[in-house]
Amino acid sequence: MRRLLQRLKNHSRPAYFSLWFLLVFYFVSFFADILAPYHFDQQFRNKPYHPPTKIHFFDSGGNFHIRPFVYNTVIDDPVFKTYKQDYSKIYPLKFFVSGKERRIFFFFKTKRYLFGVDQPAGIFLFGTDNYGRDIFSRLLYGGRISLSISLIGVFISFSLGMITGGIAGYFGGIIDQILMRLVEILMVFPSFYLMLSLRAMFPLNLSSIQVYLLIVMILSLIGWAGLARIIRGMVLSIKEEDYVLAARSLGLPHWKILLFHIFPNTFSYSITAITISVPGYIIGEAALSLLGLGIQEPYPSWGNILSSTIGNLRVLGDAPWLLLAGIFIFVVLINFNLLGDALRNVLDPKNW
Amino acid sequence: MCLTQKTGEMEQILEVKNLSVLRVEKTESISILNDINFMVKKGEMFCLVGESGSGKTTLALSIIKLLPKSFKIASGEILINGKNILEINEQSMRNIRGKDISIIFQDPSAYLDPLFTIGSHLQESYHGKNENKKELISLALQEVGLDSEVQTVYPHQLSGGQQQRVMIAMALINKPSIIIADEPTTALDVLTTRQVIDLLNAIRLKHNPAIFFITHDLELAMKTGTRIGIMYRGHIVEIFKPGREKPSHPYANILLGTIEGKDTILELNFKKNTMDSKQMQQKCPFFDMCVEKEARCKKTIPFVWCDSETGIRCLKNGRNTQV
Repeated sequence: MRRLLQRLKNHSRPAYFSLWFLLVFYFVSFFADILAPYHFDQQFRNKPYHPPTKIHFFDSGGNFHIRPFVYNTVIDDPVFKTYKQDYSKIYPLKFFVSGKERRIFFFFKTKRYLFGVDQPAGIFLFGTDNYGRDIFSRLLYGGRISLSISLIGVFISFSLGMITGGIAGYFGGIIDQILMRLVEILMVFPSFYLMLSLRAMFPLNLSSIQVYLLIVMILSLIGWAGLARIIRGMVLSIKEEDYVLAARSLGLPHWKILLFHIFPNTFSYSITAITISVPGYIIGEAALSLLGLGIQEPYPSWGNILSSTIGNLRVLGDAPWLLLAGIFIFVVLINFNLLGDALRNVLDPKNW
Repeated sequence: MCLTQKTGEMEQILEVKNLSVLRVEKTESISILNDINFMVKKGEMFCLVGESGSGKTTLALSIIKLLPKSFKIASGEILINGKNILEINEQSMRNIRGKDISIIFQDPSAYLDPLFTIGSHLQESYHGKNENKKELISLALQEVGLDSEVQTVYPHQLSGGQQQRVMIAMALINKPSIIIADEPTTALDVLTTRQVIDLLNAIRLKHNPAIFFITHDLELAMKTGTRIGIMYRGHIVEIFKPGREKPSHPYANILLGTIEGKDTILELNFKKNTMDSKQMQQKCPFFDMCVEKEARCKKTIPFVWCDSETGIRCLKNGRNTQV
């Protein structure tokens, strides 16, 4: 593993950086319960469309404070949602503040968060939305859903694709015909409409965890068909390779040949395909949420944070921080693509 | 003194009787191997010599029952340790492959999985479930003259000769009764060829497996083989012992002429041999090009054993008195 990392580093610095960047992203959203200053549904009703909070070191008198602080803000213009700072009192930034109990993945409970400020002031690093919810916290919680959907979805669809494609390609004949025709039927449908109609089969009033699982299933059911076809093609060519003949001449059973000789040799493609398809899941989830069919409010996902801006043109001018979810998606996609490209080269022993 | 088919000796590891293989195409089937008869005995190095396309590799693949799907064994028997492998199922064939028969291929770089280390190749080829697997692997590597440390490297990090040694170690590790070597030296240079041949010979003398050595290099075969089979267009035309006797089939003579520096090859009328497979079964396969052909060659010519080890498929030859 360490050697692999070293190779990745030597091969491509940007990709190595991407890997760490993504790991940090996953880590941060995994521990959103500790890292986010507010819970995702905590509302500041008197602070909708609040711009990102200014963090100060110097107070109005020009005195330096070693601990950064914020001022409370009050609404200035209720129509255009402009705020002015109340310089009468400073609210220093506190670390490991205690607050309402949150559960980390149903098991651990935490009362302390990484940072926060006392009420009534608020620290909104990326501003707030129309309900006065902290966008930063929502992005962290939303990342948990968006990023994990992509991982689980990729896992399911790649297992399906590899198994179907592998069996079809390796055994050929009637098995190949049946499996590939099935795959083609699935591919005939435009994926977006298939996604919508699959979602429409289920009621709208599902609980959030059910919706989550449903979306994972829908996305992975759509993603595997194309992969199965490509894997089948690769297996068709790899099974004619001499080392497969050699493995058969050693008396290995079919499943061992398929598992140890043929699949690993498709990895140069499939690892890249995995990393490049992860963005597809994030976008797919975003698209469903954008249409209101995905993760429902108040649960955040990057898609539905973005969708709250839909049909609301003034956001672009007055509260552009609401579009940050899009930038998060974009950044994650770029990093996955960079990483996938480099991994293909790094995983091939011939390049070592 | 010639005898027809002599069979039933205990020391025969591999025996092929009347084997015919067809390549089935959409409209017709083409005969690839025709009435092949030979046996390989324990501890001997049987060399099979023939030009490209004469069916050497097809023969090797039929012996381990790994012919491509378009090939079909039309008739005949292949006995390994007295067991007809054409009658047993795939499952029991798997137990024979690698264990009783091992095969070494032509181009080792293509036959080693690029994603597998040498160590995992060897582990994979070992059939038993022994605890001292690791020792056996290092022992096998030692035997082919490789360091035990080579286990951690990948095939592309080795030279062609080293890769071929790995293949030999893989073939050797189960102590098979016969090793099929399908042109193992073709991709190697002269010196490495020599080393690989010496290695195979050393193994043959030490562990006493039969080696079925396929090559297109008659000179090499004459030096190393205990017996040589000459193959021409899907037929074994002659089996002889180098050193003891000279081959007598016209085709074998031409081959021999090339290494002795004779110009016979230039005297020959090397027009394109136009016989198709049906015609070939009806007359001597070498008929069109033979300088000594006669009218009676225009019929099927059987392979005739002269003694228990040598035989010929030609009417002109003095030894072939039967027909």
